[in-house]
Amino acid sequence: MADMSKKSVADILAAARKADAKGDSATASADVVSAPAEEATELTPDAVKAPADLKPATKPGGGRLSVAEMLAAARAQKEGGAAAAAPKAKEKPAAKPAAAPAAKAAPKKEVAAAVAEPLDTQSILASARKSTKPGPMTKAEAQSIGAPIAPAAKKAKAKEAIVVPPMPVKPAYAKPGAKPSKEEIFERRVFIFGMSFLAIGFVGLATTFALWTLGTVRFMFPNILREPPSRFSVGTADKFPPGQVEERFKAQFGVWIVNTEYNGQQQIVALKSVCTHLGCTPNWLEAEQKFKCPCHGSGFYKDGINFEGPAPRPLERYAISIASDGSIEVDKSKTFQEEMGAWNDPASYIPV
Amino acid sequence: MHGISPQQFAGSVASFLWPYYLALAAMNGIFAYYLWQKSENRPFFSLPTPGFAFRFTPALLWTIVAIVYVFLASLAIGAHLESMPQVPQGFRDFVNASSKATIYSLGTTAVLVVLYLFRSWFVRPMVAWSIWNLMLLFLGLSMPDPNFFSIVAKPDNVPIVALVFLLAFFTWLAAYRAVENDRRMDEGLPPVEKLDDEKVLVWPDLVYTEMICMIALSAVLIFWAIWLQAPLEEPASSVKTPNPSKAPWYFLGLQEMLVYYDPWMAGVVLPSLIIVGLMAIPYIDFNKQGNGYYTIRERRFAYITFQLGFLELWVTLIVLGTLLRGPNWNFFGPYEYWDAHKVEALTNVNMSEYFWQYWLHRSLPTAPPNSTWSTQLGYILLREAPGIILVLGYFIMLPPLMAVTVLRRYYQRMGFIRYMVLANLLLFMAALPIKMVLRWTINLKYLIAIPEYFLNF
Repeated sequence: MADMSKKSVADILAAARKADAKGDSATASADVVSAPAEEATELTPDAVKAPADLKPATKPGGGRLSVAEMLAAARAQKEGGAAAAAPKAKEKPAAKPAAAPAAKAAPKKEVAAAVAEPLDTQSILASARKSTKPGPMTKAEAQSIGAPIAPAAKKAKAKEAIVVPPMPVKPAYAKPGAKPSKEEIFERRVFIFGMSFLAIGFVGLATTFALWTLGTVRFMFPNILREPPSRFSVGTADKFPPGQVEERFKAQFGVWIVNTEYNGQQQIVALKSVCTHLGCTPNWLEAEQKFKCPCHGSGFYKDGINFEGPAPRPLERYAISIASDGSIEVDKSKTFQEEMGAWNDPASYIPV
Repeated sequence: MHGISPQQFAGSVASFLWPYYLALAAMNGIFAYYLWQKSENRPFFSLPTPGFAFRFTPALLWTIVAIVYVFLASLAIGAHLESMPQVPQGFRDFVNASSKATIYSLGTTAVLVVLYLFRSWFVRPMVAWSIWNLMLLFLGLSMPDPNFFSIVAKPDNVPIVALVFLLAFFTWLAAYRAVENDRRMDEGLPPVEKLDDEKVLVWPDLVYTEMICMIALSAVLIFWAIWLQAPLEEPASSVKTPNPSKAPWYFLGLQEMLVYYDPWMAGVVLPSLIIVGLMAIPYIDFNKQGNGYYTIRERRFAYITFQLGFLELWVTLIVLGTLLRGPNWNFFGPYEYWDAHKVEALTNVNMSEYFWQYWLHRSLPTAPPNSTWSTQLGYILLREAPGIILVLGYFIMLPPLMAVTVLRRYYQRMGFIRYMVLANLLLFMAALPIKMVLRWTINLKYLIAIPEYFLNF
């Protein structure tokens, strides 16, 4: 019983039943049978303490009893009492290791009398829950708790120590080295067959994930036609009088052609109609002579310099030049940023 | 109103208003009945009338209010704008004037401070019910104004109007229970929640409640979807942006942040900080009190910080973005016509320009042409030195200063690292209103403006 706590509740119950049902533990039975009277009055400590004798001697004042252990102990007492009462009623020896049938066979009245209401599971659980603190405790706590436990342990000493049933002998088929029979080989083949299905499943899963990953990578390169940055003609320079913002090309090319003054020089420039804040398309407000973004209120002067709202830098320029036929040509493949000093580049404007 | 006659407009207003007023009347009638049934219907005053004692009780007051609402409903049902009860023009002008950004924000803050300081008075059911009625009445009386109606009745904005009322109710509820608990703790009593802290079961108590809520909410959503058409706009175009272009209502706070900060800051750094900061709360908070019950006094710092961050910096900005932002992202009062050509002469100036040009009367330090990369960087740093020093001072100097002054107790309790996390989160939170006020008052664009490297603050 040294490793009592490692056993399952079923094992403990079985062991406890066996021990108590033997019948030779007259003292224990007597103890239990006579118990109700006193237990009715002070069940709670008894119920808690009774299993204390099950505790190994090597764990003095060790961990507190778990609920499972308490239940086991309580059942042991209950069954023991019933078993003790049963023979009297039916003269049936409690030879069966499990006394439950006997208990059931016993007259209800006697069982009730023997067990009494304090021994039911609810009250034991309740008493277990009422204990001061669950979980492990310090040695000092254990000592302070240990004192009241001691008398109960003494009282229960009379009970026979519970003996663990021996491990069953290993059957022949479980011993190694036996030559497999045809049926066994067939079973193994079935097993391998099943395993191969499992393997197929996992390989399929891995393949699917790999394809998914590849598909995700493919998603990063959408199937679009990347048009070469367009180069288009907007007409001759005389179509853009000074001070004008030409909006005709905004819808198709996203460009304003502006004839304005920059750094004291009259220029024709191609402003990119993308707000430098977050990429909305600003509107040209003729009455106020400014570009105004509807998303966050950034404002730009006619020459594209930002002056209000959150846009951190001026609008960008596209490359602009005069083609061989004399018309103005805008090249969207190249942009010029003012804050980089690129607006001084002659390719970014046409002097008028 | 676009494309509809005044008569049609009056009809649409009336179709909303008369059921609205009747609902308000029913609401007040039910409340009066509830007060009448309850024993706490103490009279405000009694008149010694012959025969019987006339007692002016709250129940009587709210019955009268309900009757007034019925009267308003009867006025609204006629669908004549002239006969509809409206807010006076002077009030509209006043509201429009106080909807300027600075007044709106600082005024909201002031109102919240007043509400907080006098919370024990404001949470009284009679006071709260009066404010509730005034809010609803304000909405009803403003509806006949075409500009107000076009903003509030826009299907996009209906959730926000509902949100304002819901938020008012729930803020009141929490504050009411907190004030009650604080009062009880003064008297040495346990909080209300501890009186009846018997455990309830998930099944059926919680699950049934959730199921009923689910059914009710589904019904509301279905009727809402039937009643209000989906606010679809014109087909998207890469070269045409709607004016104004508004984010979904729950992101309007973020959109408002984007007006004051670089997209990288307002779109990435600050939202991440909001999320990280919310996740950090359990590790920062060392106050064990207020667990499982409403209280304000035991968690004053947490309460104020949360309400500042949520009500002031999130909800207020949503309301601002919804109701007060118009074409070209200009400010418009609630009763003001959305004029796309409204001229707002604003010229935003960077900190560096203020420093070098306005105060020192020099040109901005600019690297000589064709200089090396490192020389240019040096000139940029020199140009932005005032802003860099200010920002670094804000984030480096203030935490230690706060540790020895206002937040001394927190520093002692939290230790260095936890305190620094808290202080920096608070400073980032405060950076938003500071920047907003700076923008509105002195037109400051960026403290640090390095567009060359996409670094603006």
